[in-house]
Amino acid sequence: MFRKRKCIGVGKQMETSTGKAQNTSITLEVLRERVDNMEDAEVIEYQTQNNKIFVLIFIGTLIDKARLNEAVIEPLRLCNYENIAACISVSKITNISTLEEAEKKLMLGAILLFDTIENQWCSVDLKDPTGRGIETSETETILYGAKDSFSENLEQNISLIRRRLPLTALKSEKFTVGSLTKTKIVLMYIEGLTNPDFISIAREKIKSVDFDQILDSSQLAAFMEDHNHSVFPQFQHTDRPDVCAYALGVGKPTILVDNTPFALNAPINFFHLFQSPEDYINRWIVASFLRIRRYVSFMLSLLMIPLYVALTTHHYQMIPLQILFVLVETRSQLPLTPFWESLIMLVTLEVIKEASLRMPTKSGQTLGVIGGIVVGQAAVEAGFASQVLIVLVGISAIASFLVPNYLMTKATTLIQFVLLILASFLGVMGIFMGIILLFAHLNALTSLKQPYFTPISPFYGKDWLDLFIRGPLQWMKARPEALHPLQKWRYSRRR
Amino acid sequence: MLYFAIIMPVFLIYPYMIWMIIIVGILSQISIFMLSKWFNSMYASKGYEGFVELFGERMVRLIAFIGIGFIFLKVIVIILGYIEVVQHFIFPSVNTNWMLLFILLICWYVASLGMPNTIRFIVIAFLCTAWMLLLLLKIPFKPFTTIHDLFPLIPYEWTMKSWKGVLFIWSAFSGPEYLVLLAPWFNKREKILKYMTIGNTFTIFEYLFLFIASLFFFGSHYLGKNKLPVMEMIRYLQSPMFERIDIILISVYLFHFVFAISIFLLLFYGATRITLKKSKDQTTRLGFALCCAIFFICIMMSNELLWKKATNQNILLELEIWAGAFTYLFVPLLLFISLKRKGHS
Repeated sequence: MFRKRKCIGVGKQMETSTGKAQNTSITLEVLRERVDNMEDAEVIEYQTQNNKIFVLIFIGTLIDKARLNEAVIEPLRLCNYENIAACISVSKITNISTLEEAEKKLMLGAILLFDTIENQWCSVDLKDPTGRGIETSETETILYGAKDSFSENLEQNISLIRRRLPLTALKSEKFTVGSLTKTKIVLMYIEGLTNPDFISIAREKIKSVDFDQILDSSQLAAFMEDHNHSVFPQFQHTDRPDVCAYALGVGKPTILVDNTPFALNAPINFFHLFQSPEDYINRWIVASFLRIRRYVSFMLSLLMIPLYVALTTHHYQMIPLQILFVLVETRSQLPLTPFWESLIMLVTLEVIKEASLRMPTKSGQTLGVIGGIVVGQAAVEAGFASQVLIVLVGISAIASFLVPNYLMTKATTLIQFVLLILASFLGVMGIFMGIILLFAHLNALTSLKQPYFTPISPFYGKDWLDLFIRGPLQWMKARPEALHPLQKWRYSRRR
Repeated sequence: MLYFAIIMPVFLIYPYMIWMIIIVGILSQISIFMLSKWFNSMYASKGYEGFVELFGERMVRLIAFIGIGFIFLKVIVIILGYIEVVQHFIFPSVNTNWMLLFILLICWYVASLGMPNTIRFIVIAFLCTAWMLLLLLKIPFKPFTTIHDLFPLIPYEWTMKSWKGVLFIWSAFSGPEYLVLLAPWFNKREKILKYMTIGNTFTIFEYLFLFIASLFFFGSHYLGKNKLPVMEMIRYLQSPMFERIDIILISVYLFHFVFAISIFLLLFYGATRITLKKSKDQTTRLGFALCCAIFFICIMMSNELLWKKATNQNILLELEIWAGAFTYLFVPLLLFISLKRKGHS
């Protein structure tokens, strides 16, 4: 009686309708009908020197018009051959036989060419290459090292990786996902080095994506992640080709998405989120110091405010006497409890952070003044927050920016709020309960079915050389054990 | 055992018990040897089926039913013992039942992530807590310590209290017998004797160190008057950043308790399923949550009726000392003999 009607998405409906086209042969009338009401679609008829008539169908906004003239129209106009396709030698020509194929090619920037005498349809690839050029990375800036970054052009992104890894073993498999967007996805890996399990898992996951729009690599990652409800990213999003090349070199597959300047690397672990390309440029002692500093900053950004709440609410006895005097003096006039005081300040800080991201660059200074002077100083003078808390919030905010991964920074904020609540209820004990839950959660996470908290749990001792410190490159003779690469050693000459 | 490590010096008191820790530690190695024989047998990898092959289904169900009681007792003592420490040093006016609920909720979450993840959590627990022992390293070298605190090393008299101390040490070494239930999740069973021997040696040194440090700090006369001597000792540690770092250390120690209780929660769930003949059915989150709820109610009742009312002698603690010693003696022995008999037949 209440039988559920099976729903089909828009994309699926279109696919079903084009399903009819799968076996339908192409006719000029049908194609004219298909491009009807498309302002940028053009259907042009030309006559060759030997009086042959040919028809061109293309979408003007998708093709390179300059090349259309020089590579197709001119050669065809001067063509003396019987076969029209033989005249066009500058571009890639493919014969097509079905309507579906014709539509797909047309919408991906090819021109359809109809030989009226031979009754043959073919497509000429003339995709408009215009787009953003190779620019400097804005999300992962480094002082030294390569400056180039990915753009929205998939082919260009592949070439940036191939330039760094000129190997025939560097394979790239192409997929199309998104019933509406038909987004091209490329899975890259080094054959004979990357663990085949990772490749097959990634392949299966990409194939299983069933959604109408995949416009960004983050959307693809959301469908491929093992744990959707976690705050932690399970793929490394990077717009740096050198990071991808390194990931491929240690035995990870890389996924590139068309029209997205961010590639996905997996499997990753929690500690990858604290690594920066600069780690491998600096001297190892300096790089290790920088990396430890990042971990310490992460802990500071996470724990400083909850600890303030815990100490001032539950454990005054833990505060050394001299500091206690300062604290009592600054807090004596405040109407709010430490928890509410901290919560309000943290929320305000988050609002300022978010505003600084959305505001135009020129307004940044104004925001700095408002955030720093008005909110900071005025809050203290108005008696809403203690000076000690303002200092701690400032340190905590600055410390959070040291984590190189932006997605991780956002996750840190959320965890900080949870720890704050636990600290207000159970003091230091509550903070450690939160940390236990956090570690247990991380311990259970996986990235491409591989443990997320490795090399700590499961324990891989040799991988610790590139964990909290960045050991000398000469000592890192083996690829990370946790990735189970097919070639363990990084050196090629026999030792 | 976690809680026993904290209260051990109260039960030993006399310096000559140092030798007992070493002797019982060596005896513990025999149990470990017998357990390793089980791990190396083909039955270990089969888990429940392995026990059924060895003892028969009815017997396994009976053992599982008895095991539930032992697991209950162990968890009750370690969790209530820890909460008592928290109440004594951190939150004197806290309602212990709330603390019990919070800790069990965390354990429920950890355990609900599955046995492999829960087992792996020990690495995190170890790394997060191992440094704590280093803080106590300087106590034997403090200016107030004298070598005379370690005398007499030879007993003048051997009383019932001394025997109880030996029993306590043996019980404190217990715990590895529960590892036989986790055998299917271990992937390197061939080297288990080596790993367990390292663990046993580490435990001997840990107990020796804590006892000797307590003797130096309190002296044997005053040691018996303390309820939680190790914690009292930690209370005197100083740091330039914080006073009362014992609050931090007690909170960090929770890592181990969460790990142990989570494992025991899963074992309890497994034992209940075997007892109720449901071992072949799929495990469910609801079933596990129900087991945790039963666990909470039972521990809360034990807390209200027995633990809180205990003054001089805590019946639950006494029972656990005997129960721990019993299981550590008979479980390895039973498995060893059964294996031998099966081998001969």
